[in-house]
Amino acid sequence: MLFKIRTLFDSMAVTPLYLYLFLFLGPSNFSNSPFAHGFPSSSSDTTMHTNNWAVLVCTSRFWFNYRHMANTLSLYRTVKRLGIPDERIILMLADDMACNARNKYPAQVFNNENHKLNLYGDNVEVDYRGYEVTVENFLRVLTGRHETAVPRSKRLLSDEGSHILLYMTGHGGDEFLKFQDSEELQSHDLADAVKQMKEKRRFKELLIMVDTCQAATLFSQLQSPGVLAIGSSMKGENSYSHHLDSDVGVSVVDRFTFYTLAFFERLNMYDNASLSSLFNSYNPSTLMSTAYYRTDLYQRRLEEVPVTNFFGSVMETIHTDAAYRAPSRKTSGRADIKTSPDKMVTDDQIKTTTNSNVLDQSSDQKQAKEHMMQDQACPFARLMSSFKNKVQTVEEADSLVNYGLVTMIPLLLLSTLL
Amino acid sequence: MAETEAPRPRQRPIVRLGIFLISHSFSFSVVCCTAGVLALLLLPILAKNTYISENALMPGSANPMLSNQDVLEANRFVKDLIALNSKPRGSGIESQRLIAQYMKDLGAEVNYHKFHPQITQFHPLQFFSSPDSGTVERNISCSFHGVNTVGITRAPRGDGKEAIVLVTPYNSQKIKQAEALSLGTAYSVFSLLSRVTWLAKDIIWLVSDSQHGEYAAVSAWLRDYHIPMFTRLHTVNAETCPDINYLYDVRDNSVTGRKIYDGFKRAGTMAAALVIKVVDRSETFDDNLNIYAEASNGQMPNLDLINIVNYLAVHRQGFRVKVEKLWSLLDSKWLKNLGELFESVGQVVSSINPQWKFGIPAADYTEGIATLASSLYNQALGVPTGPHGAFRDYQVDAITLELSPRASVDKIIRQNDFLLRGGRLIEGVILSVNNLLEKFHQSFFLYLLTSPGKFVSVGVYMIAFALLVAPLPMVAASLYADAINLNSSQNNEKTVADEPGTALRSLKWVNAAKKVFVVHLWGSVVSLLPYFICQIPNRSPTVSFIIWFLLSVLSFFIMFLILASPFSHAKESQLHLREWAILKSVTMSATFIGLCLMSVINFSTAELGGLLLVPMCLMAQPMRRDIRVGSLSTLSRLAYNLVFCLIGFPPVTFVLLKGAFEGFNSINVGDFWCWVESLWAWSSATYLYIGMVHLPCWVLCIHILFHHC
Repeated sequence: MLFKIRTLFDSMAVTPLYLYLFLFLGPSNFSNSPFAHGFPSSSSDTTMHTNNWAVLVCTSRFWFNYRHMANTLSLYRTVKRLGIPDERIILMLADDMACNARNKYPAQVFNNENHKLNLYGDNVEVDYRGYEVTVENFLRVLTGRHETAVPRSKRLLSDEGSHILLYMTGHGGDEFLKFQDSEELQSHDLADAVKQMKEKRRFKELLIMVDTCQAATLFSQLQSPGVLAIGSSMKGENSYSHHLDSDVGVSVVDRFTFYTLAFFERLNMYDNASLSSLFNSYNPSTLMSTAYYRTDLYQRRLEEVPVTNFFGSVMETIHTDAAYRAPSRKTSGRADIKTSPDKMVTDDQIKTTTNSNVLDQSSDQKQAKEHMMQDQACPFARLMSSFKNKVQTVEEADSLVNYGLVTMIPLLLLSTLL
Repeated sequence: MAETEAPRPRQRPIVRLGIFLISHSFSFSVVCCTAGVLALLLLPILAKNTYISENALMPGSANPMLSNQDVLEANRFVKDLIALNSKPRGSGIESQRLIAQYMKDLGAEVNYHKFHPQITQFHPLQFFSSPDSGTVERNISCSFHGVNTVGITRAPRGDGKEAIVLVTPYNSQKIKQAEALSLGTAYSVFSLLSRVTWLAKDIIWLVSDSQHGEYAAVSAWLRDYHIPMFTRLHTVNAETCPDINYLYDVRDNSVTGRKIYDGFKRAGTMAAALVIKVVDRSETFDDNLNIYAEASNGQMPNLDLINIVNYLAVHRQGFRVKVEKLWSLLDSKWLKNLGELFESVGQVVSSINPQWKFGIPAADYTEGIATLASSLYNQALGVPTGPHGAFRDYQVDAITLELSPRASVDKIIRQNDFLLRGGRLIEGVILSVNNLLEKFHQSFFLYLLTSPGKFVSVGVYMIAFALLVAPLPMVAASLYADAINLNSSQNNEKTVADEPGTALRSLKWVNAAKKVFVVHLWGSVVSLLPYFICQIPNRSPTVSFIIWFLLSVLSFFIMFLILASPFSHAKESQLHLREWAILKSVTMSATFIGLCLMSVINFSTAELGGLLLVPMCLMAQPMRRDIRVGSLSTLSRLAYNLVFCLIGFPPVTFVLLKGAFEGFNSINVGDFWCWVESLWAWSSATYLYIGMVHLPCWVLCIHILFHHC
């Protein structure tokens, strides 16, 4: 406990110095400074995980590919249930099975032959539908290069604190994924898009989950750090459907997705099940293929990452005095970042706390691991919210008091410096 | 000089290979012909199992929904239909009314389609084009019309662009039990489909009036469906024909009060069509399903359609599926021996390497050959094997399903079971086709069936044909080269390198070509003669045939006198040596071209024609030479030539084949005429092949045989 407090104290003591430096030099200089190692990833390594996004893509058309749409809708339902709101889910469905004339149950989609759960209920927001689901649009969503007329609801407005879940299902092959029966997304395209995202600081961590034949081949070109990838099958393997609904007359779910869903059905928003427990839950004999995951680009240990980091949501809210006015400089360093030249236009939204990225430079990775749920050391600007979490997690009243005392000191220092 | 001394550049390998083959043309042709026949006999072993190629079809993925309730309804319908037989008056009209009433009660759109069957007549200029609706003769008597009843169920959420067609032929004059059952089967499916929510394509149920033939009714309806006709034909009919008036009178008094539309109702383009027939053959073991697929000119529906029917019938409804076979081949001794030979070879092969799958049981082999022979024969004939053939003319995939129940269908329980299973089979097929997004296109269109679950694709069976005809150009080239060399050496002995010699040499080739051309021209004249013979009133087939034969012989001599003889006589005096060889080589080239062209149009005709023509062409030699030499080999060759030339004559071939399959007792000279008449009535390309390839080739071979050298 003592050790913890001391490191916390250290970090807090150093932070104002950095802040001062930062305010003085500006962010563009800062990124070139020795602290940033010349690569943007280093900044997001230590960035706070502040929000969650999900991009769920069903790439195949036609009635007999019913199961792909059911896969995607099932996952949509799951991530929604675990806390990602609709405005942070980009749902792309290449065809409309619910309203297909061949559907025995009009406007309903099921992922199980027991028909207990209609996946196509009232609260489904499909962002890209039918022929809008193309490789071009998919890459535009990932890289954020939209035409000006594209509404916000169809954009992936993630930032460097975002954890993104990218789920894709359809028909794939060696290093490609078929879109719409007419075009293909190649592993190079995907890797390139992810790289662009990394450079644009559009994510902190990215989990790519692919349920296709030979899904593992789609990850072979990925290079960007912070990317975790899992596929349903190795090279040369097929992904099979789980079961046939003899009432609807089609297969309704794929095996990999079925067992993923089975895993998540046991969880709720507050569960701490780790990613490794999810990955280990795949049994090659029931899957009839070997689930493959690529972790070499990912820094954290899977045992310590809760699945809710990707499939659930962290929502940080920052109180501002006025809704549409930029917060004054006095309250925090936020305004500087907003006006910084290398920031994207889409980033200047009030709901995300983009200031934390640079301030956290000093905070140690080890320390972050010690605070399991609290990912990293708390910056002073979000002290109150973190305190609320602490109160929930920390039992002993003594430590709470200690924390309080310790955190008072940097505040004092800061105010004197300013 | 160095340049002249330089060695001649080596010829390219392909040229050397060609020269090698031409110089060894005899052994080459023997090997190739044997291999061609052997490859044909091996086809049942090389046949692959069928598989569903199109992902969208998913046959059998949904449980059938057809219930006993539907069957009971269908039973009621069947009873009502049969009860009409006992009524005295106009049962034709009554039955159509009844069917329309039942259709309307299901909520379907109903209309009648009146038609006059087309009179089959030989139109030389419209051989391949289907006769357009304008040629329908107007002043046909009222008794000579048929009335189809058409019911259409619209897909509730479909786009109305596509349709699936069910056809049930029945004779409106006298409804038999089996026909009523086929109507009942279709009715049970139709009543189910009028309730379901999953239809994406409209369902058309065509109850075709087969009193003037099953094919004619369906083709008349299809013609009107695809070629809209803007005339007032039906009103003219309504004025003159009391029967039709009656039909439209009673429709107003119907219980539901809805009028039957008297125009022509249409749905979208047809995705597939199923012709449903029930025959009362009282099978001993199992309920049987016979599949007929051959349409005109050997066109086949997409293999996927047969596959789904076969899959559903065997694996879901427990029918015994059959395709046609030549039964007489099943008992033949030599086929059994051949099958056993192949089986033992297969065993030897599998003992060497278990990975190699070769050889099938001897019984399977004979069955496969019998089915293959029937498949080849039906395709070669070019005459559709059922009403489904009419659909193929509009590029719609269609087959006839002929269901035959195990025992007599009089017992009501048996009948219910039969209706249930038949209905579920058709429901499953429709569900599969309903899942289809485009036309059938994934699987094969060019194939031969060796059993309902096995097929030989075009890539395999073309090998047999290619091997069979490959010797023709080789031997032709070698004969020509020999003749030229012989002539030039002769010329060199006489006069050294004279200019007229080479000129005449090339002229001789032209001369032979001219002769061949004249004979082919004569062949087309012979093919046209039936058009004129048809104009003669009151003729019997025998008389027609004799007239045709005499006219052909007459025209042959006329043409030969006018066109061919002056040249040939003029040149014969100078360059007669091996003239027959040049003629033979040109004949072979022409035959080769003809056979290859025919194999594109109708493979089976070309294959069967090749089996007859190639040995005849290869062996043809002047008779006098053989007699002059008089050794055993030449005499046997002479006998062989005579036999083949006898067999090769089309009427003789026909008589022999008919005799082999049906016995020689019933053979009549006029039969050939009837057969030929049916060929052109169906505008079969086989007719053109016989007239323009086979017959000229035969005549030229005879000419070579009797050549004076």
